[in-house]
Amino acid sequence: MASRRGNVNVPVRQKASKSSAQDNHSVTKRLQHELRTLMTSANPGISAFPDGDNLFKWIGTIEGAKGTVYENLQYKLTLTFPSGYPYQALTVKFTTPCYHPNVDTHGNICLDILKEKWSALYDVRTVLLSIQSLLGEPNIDSPLNVHAADLWSDQEAYKKHLLQKYEQDVRSKQQS
Amino acid sequence: MSAETTSPNNNSQPNGDGGTPSEDSAGTYECNICLETANDPVVSMCGHLFCWPCLHQWLETRRQRQTCPVCKAGISKDKVIPIYGRGNPNPQDPREKLPPRPPGQRTEPEGSGAFPNFGFGGDGGFQFSFGIGAFPFGIFASTFNFNDGRPAPPAHGSPQEAEEQFLSKVFLWVAIIFIFWLLIA
Repeated sequence: MASRRGNVNVPVRQKASKSSAQDNHSVTKRLQHELRTLMTSANPGISAFPDGDNLFKWIGTIEGAKGTVYENLQYKLTLTFPSGYPYQALTVKFTTPCYHPNVDTHGNICLDILKEKWSALYDVRTVLLSIQSLLGEPNIDSPLNVHAADLWSDQEAYKKHLLQKYEQDVRSKQQS
Repeated sequence: MSAETTSPNNNSQPNGDGGTPSEDSAGTYECNICLETANDPVVSMCGHLFCWPCLHQWLETRRQRQTCPVCKAGISKDKVIPIYGRGNPNPQDPREKLPPRPPGQRTEPEGSGAFPNFGFGGDGGFQFSFGIGAFPFGIFASTFNFNDGRPAPPAHGSPQEAEEQFLSKVFLWVAIIFIFWLLIA
């Protein structure tokens, strides 16, 4: 049995290495398709565009959803696509400091669909929409920012602290 | 979370692709992975359309937990159905492409041949096994077993079949010798 399975595996692996250029082409094609869809459809509160000529690195923006404490706040993110995209998840990081229970001080995001729940069906649009909804609905049980998770239950205080942080980290830097 | 994220995608896909009606109808037959019109199309048991190369790669990247990228239902290579259209839209499409699409499966309608595996030896559906229980005469209870819950016999003419047949014979003779020994002793 083992020998038989081995025989089956070999051509598949060879094929994978041989067609890596072709794979790269299909990743580019899919990213172009995503960009086209993103440009032609209206997505309130989210946007993304490639960073220069490199189609494998995008810069996205997310606005906090209405009715949440993040309303009127805007965050920038970097989206990095692996060569195995969409079979492997893209990496998303906040570049704007974000005070949130599921975002750490380096901008790393803890979101299941970017890790073990990733599916090839997800794209830039769905990922950004998920992060936007994560802003208003954090997962308090597995926080990266414990301070934010503890404060979340008191929405008044949370909003006050959030705005103060945003003012300090973002607005001051924009002016300077 | 995942359910929430997929639903807006599915709902707004037709608007998103927008434009001419022809583009809209093309969206219905887009592969769920590469987002292009499906090439060498296959459909999963849960009804989701993919290019066979795209789905194959998805299954290869996660061998342990193979799930449908759209609805996360269980999915496997043997459980997808290829779709054969009438005309080939791109005539240059090469058939020798790896990996090959799985062949179509045609199951016989129910009712004909109620016991396809019943019978001795006919098509390898009979296997001999031998065991000793706490009581020596237990062997008679466990001597004859018909395919119950065990893996299907290997294909005709394969090395495994020859091997199993050989083992089956060896155990048969061991059993006969043991029974003789019991009778004599």
